[in-house]
Amino acid sequence: MLKKRLVGVVTVKDGWAVQSFGYKRYLPLGKPECLVENLDRWGADEILVQVIDRSVNGSNPDFELLERLGRLGLETPLIYGGGIRSVDDGVRAIQSGADRLVVDSLLHDDLAAVRGLSERLGAQAIIAALPLSWNGEHVEWLDYRHGSSSSISVEVLSLAETGIVSEILVIDWMHEGHQDGFEQNLIRNFPLSGVPLIAFGGISNSNQMAELLQMPNISAIAAGNFLSYREHAVQKYKEALSGMPLRLSAYESKYPTLTHV
Amino acid sequence: MRVSADMEVLNEVDILLLPGVGAYPSAMRALHERGLVHYLQDQAREQRPIIGICLGMQLLASASHELHYTVGLDLIPGEVVPLTEPKWHIGWNTIECVQDDPLFGPSDGQAFYFNHSFMYQGPAEYQVCVSRHPTPIPSVIRRGNIIGLQFHPEKSQAAGKALLKNIISRLAHA
Repeated sequence: MLKKRLVGVVTVKDGWAVQSFGYKRYLPLGKPECLVENLDRWGADEILVQVIDRSVNGSNPDFELLERLGRLGLETPLIYGGGIRSVDDGVRAIQSGADRLVVDSLLHDDLAAVRGLSERLGAQAIIAALPLSWNGEHVEWLDYRHGSSSSISVEVLSLAETGIVSEILVIDWMHEGHQDGFEQNLIRNFPLSGVPLIAFGGISNSNQMAELLQMPNISAIAAGNFLSYREHAVQKYKEALSGMPLRLSAYESKYPTLTHV
Repeated sequence: MRVSADMEVLNEVDILLLPGVGAYPSAMRALHERGLVHYLQDQAREQRPIIGICLGMQLLASASHELHYTVGLDLIPGEVVPLTEPKWHIGWNTIECVQDDPLFGPSDGQAFYFNHSFMYQGPAEYQVCVSRHPTPIPSVIRRGNIIGLQFHPEKSQAAGKALLKNIISRLAHA
């Protein structure tokens, strides 16, 4: 049986891994490589590295970071997001070590490039990231570069409906970093059914995770800040979620010490 | 491990590994451009071990319907067709051995990482393991020394490492 996934998220800004709170406050955590290496060692089901300042600055993907991560010899699938402006950027990110890509700004700027990425790399490699909020009646989509929200465009919904992207990363940006913050209405009232959704933003406790994992349109839950507070956080969450359709936790001592500190 | 498209380098290794992230037509085009289609077919005839991973497994088949009909390496008879419902097979799934095979028996019931939207469809005699989603999807195919893995053992942590170690050591010393 296909398992649902617990995705570990590392958010990178100005070259440093950061804790992010509501898309506006950031606290440094350290080298991204250290966090990624921990998630790999702890048995995360996938690792998402999102470099949040690349598109804002108009720069390309952080290929140097991807190459440094590649040298770690990760045994966990790596999803990369940040600064993907074209098909060539995406292809190079895959060649630099990413297994899948997540796109956000490109959904506002160039849907033809999203289609091109899907054609070149296969739709299974493409995830659409949608920072969303719930206004009490419906779901609103944020363009984080300008701070403006609107309904999710028909064109973007069509990308998911027609299988140009394989999954949607639903980000509760308002509650990101807030304990027990994730707004379940974003999933319950998402305008499409039958499209696999990854829930992210303010997911901090196992009860909340269990509720999300029981929703039929959820394929994965993602956590960032809340995996950084304790050793073996992934295994601890999975142990608390026994009975849920997740891969069992595993402990493996692969690294005698962290390799680059 | 050596990464190369140079036939002189490839001639020196014990096992040829054909990885793949991407779409079928562009991957076959890339193999043709590098002269590797005839090379791989010749190596298969000489019984050299070849392992295809994910798209690399699908390239071993006769043809694919991804985007448009494309002829493959034709090392294992069968075609690659789209998954229907659900359209994706993404995440960790267990493999179930449907044939006795010492290369895969030790991994029966273990979970591996899959990420694909097309699948192999071919004679049952070449299907060694399946994974259920919920209908059976061939997850390991084999014809002699030609092996296809639909999942990513290199991204499947301890289970993937154990499987690769077993099949590489057995194939290299066969």
